[in-house]
Order: sequence, then C-alpha cells, then structure tokens
Amino acid sequence: MLSVFKSIPTHMDYKGQKLAEQIFQGIILISAVIGFVYGLIIQQFGWTVYIVLAGFAVSCLLTLPPWPMYRRNPLPWQPVAPEASGEPTQKPQESIKRKKHK
Amino acid sequence: MNTVLSRANSLFAFSLSVMAALTFGCFVTTAFKDRRVSVDIHVSKVMLKNVDDFTGPRERSDLGFITFDISADLEPIFDWNVKQLFLYLSAEYATKSNSLNQVVLWDRIILRGENTKLNLRDMKSKYFFFDDGNGLRANKNITLTLSWNVIPNAGILPLVAGSGHVSLPFPEQYEATKSY
Repeated sequence: MLSVFKSIPTHMDYKGQKLAEQIFQGIILISAVIGFVYGLIIQQFGWTVYIVLAGFAVSCLLTLPPWPMYRRNPLPWQPVAPEASGEPTQKPQESIKRKKHK
Repeated sequence: MNTVLSRANSLFAFSLSVMAALTFGCFVTTAFKDRRVSVDIHVSKVMLKNVDDFTGPRERSDLGFITFDISADLEPIFDWNVKQLFLYLSAEYATKSNSLNQVVLWDRIILRGENTKLNLRDMKSKYFFFDDGNGLRANKNITLTLSWNVIPNAGILPLVAGSGHVSLPFPEQYEATKSY
C-alpha cells in the first residue's frame, strides 16, 4: 500500500523549492496579519485562529503538490551514455558535474 | 524540500511559530488593562446559630446565614483575551482569637458569551459560614467583597477585587434574625 504513494513523483528543482518556500511563508504571514487585525477589531481570538488555518490550507494546496511551475528549472544532466564503450570516460565527468551543482 | 513530507513539515512548523507569535501579540494587547468594575452588594437578612462543628477542634462553633443581593455590570472586563471569570463573594472580619478571617460564601463561573449583567436578589450562600470559634456573635464589623479571577486565553490570571463592599454588624444573640 505504501509503495503506491512512494512511486508518485513529488520532486521539485531547487529554484522551485525556493519559490514554494517563499509562497507559503508569504501566505501564512499575510493571513496572520489579516487575522490579527480582524480578531482585534471584533474582539474574538477564535477568528484569528480560523483565518490563519485558512491560510495554512491555501498554502498546502499551493505548495505541497509538485505543480509544473516548480519544475521550470531542471538540472542539466549529461545525456545518458551508451552502454558499450563510453562508460569509463563518462563516469568521472558526471561525478564532477554533480559536485558542482551541490 | 524535495518531498511532500519535507515541505509539509516545514510549512506546519512555520505556521505554529506564527501562531505562537500571534498569541503573544494577543496577550500584549490586554496585559495592562484595568479589570476593576464597581459592584453593589446589599445584605437583606442575617441569622446566627451556634451549632455542633465536626470539622474543628471544639464542640460548637458559630454558623452564620446571610441573604444578600448583588448587582454589577461585568461587560467592560470581557475582551478577546478573556475566556471566563471566576467570581466569589468573601466575608472578612476580625475576632478575639484570630486577627484576620476570610470565608468564601458564594461563587460562580461566567463564560464569555453569557449574560454579563449580574442582578441577583435574595441569594443564599453556597458554602457554610462557619467561624473558627465563637467570634461571630456581636461582631461589629463583617465586610463582604465580591472579587474575581480573570482567566485569559494567553497570559497572567489577575485576581481583582470589585470596588464596592458592604460592612455590617452581626446579631448579638443566637437564633435571632436581623433584617437590614
């Protein structure tokens, strides 16, 4: 049962991860400010909590699933080497490339 | 942030931190508010008995019966940081054996959203007004005060005394009702 969930691709590239983090931090902060001001005006702290929870739900929808906007800058991997002759020379190049992108 | 669980963890932790900061902000907006309100207490009848007391070290102690009225408007105390008020009516007096006695006669919890205007008439005390001895008879000065404990959503629980109390003398003899 768990293997079904593990096989769904959920990755984002690095720029996409940064974008997702900025999006959810912005949404939560804006909903916190709106909730605080609204709760202060009507003098009920429950509404502040509801507004922040709504912001949390919107952020979940926007940033948890791997939407295409988070996959616009994929890492430029080397093309796949043919199995027979080019393998020993391709491997050290690939490892150098991987170290650079870290 | 490469998997859903990692993003969910980061999002949830950030939301909780923001919620904690908002709760602290809620506390700060009401931390220095004055929670006193004027209270009107009136005692209509007092009776005194001398009965067997099984809770103390002596055979018989004084037991007082008070019928009282309370009116107060507690509306200004409630704000977005008050969950409920715990009210109690206490009697304070001095006797020959003890210099300070305080007895709670009646209490009530008022939640936010309930009616905040108190207009109670002919209330009997909830708890026994036992004295530690026989010091209630012919006591010149017994002071009744209504106080409350504010229970907030976030912050300190202040104990506030209402600004209105009534002092009255108790009867000279037992089993004699005194009306005011």
